[in-house]
Amino acid sequence: MLDDRLVIVSGKGGTGKSAVAAGLALVAQRHGLRVLAAEMDASGGLSAHLSTSELAFKPRQVLPGLHAMRVVRSEALLEYLSLQLRIPGIGRFGGGVARSFDALSTAAPAIREIITIGKLLWEVKQDRWDMVVLDAPPTGQLGSYLRAPRSITELVPTGRIREQAEWMAGTLVDPEITRLVLVTLPEELPTSETMETIGWLEVEQITPPPLVLVNRVLPPLTVAKRPQGVAGEMVELHSAQLTEQKTWLETLPGDLTLPYLFGLFTPGEVSAHLSDLLEHLD
Amino acid sequence: MIAGAGGVGKTTVAAAVAVRAARSGARTLVVTVDPARRLAAALKIQDLSDEPKPHPDEPNLWAAQLDSSASWRAVAERHADPEVAHRLATNEFFQAAADHFPASQSYAAADQAATYVQARAWDLVVVDTPPSGGGTDFFTAPAQMADLVGGRLLRWITGGPLPGRRFLYNRAGRPVLKIADAVLGSDLLQRVSEFLLDLRTTYDGVARRGREIERVMREAVIFVVTTADPAPMHEAVRFYRDLPGVASTPDAVIFNRSLPEEWINPDGDFPPDVRQIVELWSAETARQKDFRESFSSRYGATVASIPWTSRPPTSLDDLANLVRNGSGIPWDALGISL
Repeated sequence: MLDDRLVIVSGKGGTGKSAVAAGLALVAQRHGLRVLAAEMDASGGLSAHLSTSELAFKPRQVLPGLHAMRVVRSEALLEYLSLQLRIPGIGRFGGGVARSFDALSTAAPAIREIITIGKLLWEVKQDRWDMVVLDAPPTGQLGSYLRAPRSITELVPTGRIREQAEWMAGTLVDPEITRLVLVTLPEELPTSETMETIGWLEVEQITPPPLVLVNRVLPPLTVAKRPQGVAGEMVELHSAQLTEQKTWLETLPGDLTLPYLFGLFTPGEVSAHLSDLLEHLD
Repeated sequence: MIAGAGGVGKTTVAAAVAVRAARSGARTLVVTVDPARRLAAALKIQDLSDEPKPHPDEPNLWAAQLDSSASWRAVAERHADPEVAHRLATNEFFQAAADHFPASQSYAAADQAATYVQARAWDLVVVDTPPSGGGTDFFTAPAQMADLVGGRLLRWITGGPLPGRRFLYNRAGRPVLKIADAVLGSDLLQRVSEFLLDLRTTYDGVARRGREIERVMREAVIFVVTTADPAPMHEAVRFYRDLPGVASTPDAVIFNRSLPEEWINPDGDFPPDVRQIVELWSAETARQKDFRESFSSRYGATVASIPWTSRPPTSLDDLANLVRNGSGIPWDALGISL
């Protein structure tokens, strides 16, 4: 995974994708890579797991070699208009343009997503980073982002934005550049959502095949003799959960598993621990 | 209203509260979104629609399922005159707007939920709110919807007061539109603007309905469901911070998958294989307790707990048991006396 230029981490809500994204960024940073970790909403999941304050559009150094940012659509758009399209005088009425585009993007397919995903792919292209790790939207919204470049090529017949969309679609599907990680849990709903996601990804071929990471897998502990009292209840819950998890682990492709982290308090502790575990998986 | 982050068991909690309420004698409708298969089986709702159906074995219980893919398309069409409704129905941008407008699914769900409450056929309607872009979407959807339809976006595109349809064909004087044309090709912006103009004709109806929905929301009892994990807790905190401004203060936070406090450092001399398991779950229980206590002291919240059971609930009895006495659910807020 350390050779990948863009690592997109998604999963059903509540599966721990922000923690995994932060963990992966920390592993890469420890290996001396220049890493950009990016989130796409204001939920603050990634910043919490990197033990830092709220992220902004401008990448900020979190650790030596590790920067983090949040992709803010309006700022990404202004940057795009001034840097990429070199539209003269954009600063003068920049705010108005950004608002107009935002309005337009509510109704026009793929415009909103292409601006966000475009900013990230542009960062991937820069020599500044060895790896960009994206704490991506949950799987329910992932499709509209990954499909955006192709939708644009269908919507816009010619011109610069079409060329760029073609380049973006090519980058997303290139196994030398992009890796998609789906974080899931060995439970009913996360399993079915993951299987659905794998299904449409296979049909649409917009990314390389995803790597499935099953989080919070319990250690396979058993006891010779079930004790009485409270300890007995604990053993019963553990064993029942193991049985339940086994069902879903058998359904999932389960490329990799991460253990349940008992008793960890802060998001920072969780991601530090995950990064140690991920290091050994690699 | 049962709110909370995705994956914390909102649907299970909604069902459990509804079953117990029904068994106390209140005519109860539970409205779910995408239940897990076993829960759907327990509620006998495998083939439910948005039409409430009585439960075959539980006299006071009805169930309905919100269509999670429903959009406000139907709502907007309902408020348009026939000619405009036809144009909207065939408009290529409608689906995109429904997909992109963050509150659109929430709006459709809130509209449906309010309809059940206004029917006055039940003493209690328990609504499992749909997973959304996050936070208070479900509660702010009516206002956001009216704002969208009301032409705010259109004003931004044109940079001024609302134009007539003809204005849109002549935008040579507007630098903003010239840029949009340069980037996207000349007819896209015009097509979008025409769509938004059509949409705007539904404003009066949508705004009126929005106010009705908001009234229902403001009177609703809100339970926020979470697990004692950092990400859902973060979301629960946002509800406590943001909801008072847009609906009402949540009435309780319900910690799902709670472990009993006597699991913290239990006494006893355990063999090594048992000790391994006891140590893990003792640490987990201590963490949960700390999370619950810090939440309750920070936000002055009423805290209720639902136990982490060995097996997911598969029957109405299982569900009722989850919220048995001692769970801390404020039943009186629901007008239920047990």
